[in-house]
Amino acid sequence: MDENVGPSEMIVHLGPQHPMQPGPFRLNLRLRGETVVDAEVELGFIHKGIEKILESKTYLQGIPIVDRICYLTAMTNEEAYVGAVEKLADIEVPERSQYIRVILEELSRLQSHLLGMGEFGEFIGFVSMFMYTIKEREDILSLMDMVTGARVTHTFLKYGGVRGDLPEGFREKSAVIFAGLKEQIAEYRRLFNGDEIYKQRCFGVGILEAKTARDLGVSGPALRATGVAFDIRKDEPYLVYKDLDFKVCTATDGDIAARIEVRLDEMLEAMYIIEQCLDQMPSGPLFYEDSLYGVRTPTMRVPEGDVFHRVEDPRGEMGFYVVSDGSDKPHRVKIRGPVYPTMQALPPLITGTTVADVAAIAGSMDGCTSEADR
Amino acid sequence: MDAKSIIDSLVNKFQDSLTDAKVDSDIRISAYLEPEKIKDVCQYLKDELAFGHLSSETAIDYPKKDEIVVVYHIASYDHPVLLTIKVKLPRDAPEIESIVPVYWNANWYERETYELFGVKFNNHPDLRQLVLPEELLGDWPLRKDYEGFPNTTARNLV
Repeated sequence: MDENVGPSEMIVHLGPQHPMQPGPFRLNLRLRGETVVDAEVELGFIHKGIEKILESKTYLQGIPIVDRICYLTAMTNEEAYVGAVEKLADIEVPERSQYIRVILEELSRLQSHLLGMGEFGEFIGFVSMFMYTIKEREDILSLMDMVTGARVTHTFLKYGGVRGDLPEGFREKSAVIFAGLKEQIAEYRRLFNGDEIYKQRCFGVGILEAKTARDLGVSGPALRATGVAFDIRKDEPYLVYKDLDFKVCTATDGDIAARIEVRLDEMLEAMYIIEQCLDQMPSGPLFYEDSLYGVRTPTMRVPEGDVFHRVEDPRGEMGFYVVSDGSDKPHRVKIRGPVYPTMQALPPLITGTTVADVAAIAGSMDGCTSEADR
Repeated sequence: MDAKSIIDSLVNKFQDSLTDAKVDSDIRISAYLEPEKIKDVCQYLKDELAFGHLSSETAIDYPKKDEIVVVYHIASYDHPVLLTIKVKLPRDAPEIESIVPVYWNANWYERETYELFGVKFNNHPDLRQLVLPEELLGDWPLRKDYEGFPNTTARNLV
C-alpha cells in the first residue's frame, strides 16, 4: 500500500497482535475520516515452513506435522493429507474406520465453530458469548479426547484406517452432550437475535455478494452465507458422506449475521451426521488384514504419481496436493488451505466500511492465520 | 457438464498447445499446456466452461529433469469437475504469464510461488514476497537444492 497520505487521511496498522483472528497478522488500513478507503493484509509472522518439513519426513512422520497447521482443524488436516496419500497408494479403508473418521471430522467442525463464534462475540463486545461457547467446546473436546487421547492435536488417522476403535460409553456420553448442546444452540440464537447491539452491528454489515464471493475464491460458511451451496462433502464425497443424509446449510444475506447463522445451522447438521453414523456403523476391522500399509510399516513407499485431495474443513475447502517420486518421502506437498482466499478477500470486503466494523467483519470470516502462513 | 465434454471442448479449442489431456475419473481431468497459452486457456475455462474457482496454484521442482512445473487446480462452483493443468518451465529462467486478470485470488498463490520457487509471473500486479522476510528473497527455499538459511543456493537468479 502506498504510504503517502492525503491531507484528511491516516494510515492505521492493526496488529500484528490483536484478537481479530487467532494468530498474528497485520492489517494496514488507509482511513479517510472513519471510512476505510484502502486495506492490505500482511502475513508471514508465523510461517512454519510445513510444506518443506513434510518433504523431509516419511509419510507416517508427516501426520503429526499436518496437525500443527491449524490447531482448530487438526482432524480435517489429517484427513486431507492421509486421504491424499491413500489415493496415491491405492489403500482402501474399511467402512468402520471411515465412519469413525466422519464422526471425528464432524466433532472437529463443532468445536471449531464453537470457538470461532465465541471469539467473534468478543470482537463485538459480547464477551459472555465466549464464556458460553468455550464451556460447550470443552465438552466436545472431551469426546474427542475419549477417542483419540488428545484434546487438539490428535494424530489419530493412519494409512488404511484409524488408530483405535470408539471407546466404551462413547455413544451414551455423546447423546448427553449433544442434547445439552442442542439446547444451548437455541439459547445462542435467542441471545444473538435478542441483542440490540448484535442486531445493529451485524445485520446488513460486511455484505458479501454471491458473485463477488465466487470471484474472490471464498469457500466454506462465508460462501454458503451468500447462498451458494458449495460443499466438498456433496461435490466430491469422500469417506462415507455419500451414504449419509445431510443438507448443505445456506443463508441468503451474505452479511455477518448470515455467516453466524450458517455456522449455527451447521453445528446442528454435524450432530445429526454423528448420530446417523453411530446408528449405521457396521462392525468390522479397522484395517484390512492383507493391506501392505498401515499398522505394520512405518516407512511405506508410495508409487510415483500426484494427487489433489479435497475435504470440507470447518472453514471451507481444504486440499492437499501430494507428489510422490516413489520413495518413502513425498517429493512435494502443497497445502491449499481455506483461509488463504478468506484472508485475501478481507481488503475488498472491508473497503468502504467504517473502522469500527473492521474487527466484526474480519472476525465473522473466521480465519486462522496459522493455517494461512503454514 | 461432464469431464468428457469439457476435455473435448478444450482440445478442440487449444489443439496445438495441449498435450497429454486425459480423463482421470468422472470428475477429474488433467493436461499439460504450453506456457504461452495459460492466460487464454484460463479465460476460456472461466467464460465458457464455468470453471470459476481457482483452487490452488503451485510449483514442483525437478532438478534432475532441469525443469519447474507450475500446477494449476481449477474447479467450479457449478459442476464437480476439477481440472489440473501443468506447465513445464526451464529451471534456470522460469517465467510465465500471470493469471491474476482472470482469477483474482491467484494473486497470493503467485506471490508465494515466486518467493518459494523463483517462478516469475509476468504482468502480476504486485509481485513481491508474502510469507518470507525480504532477506530470503532469491534463496527459493522450496527448491530441492536449497541448503537452508543462511546458505544461499540460487541467489544468482534474481
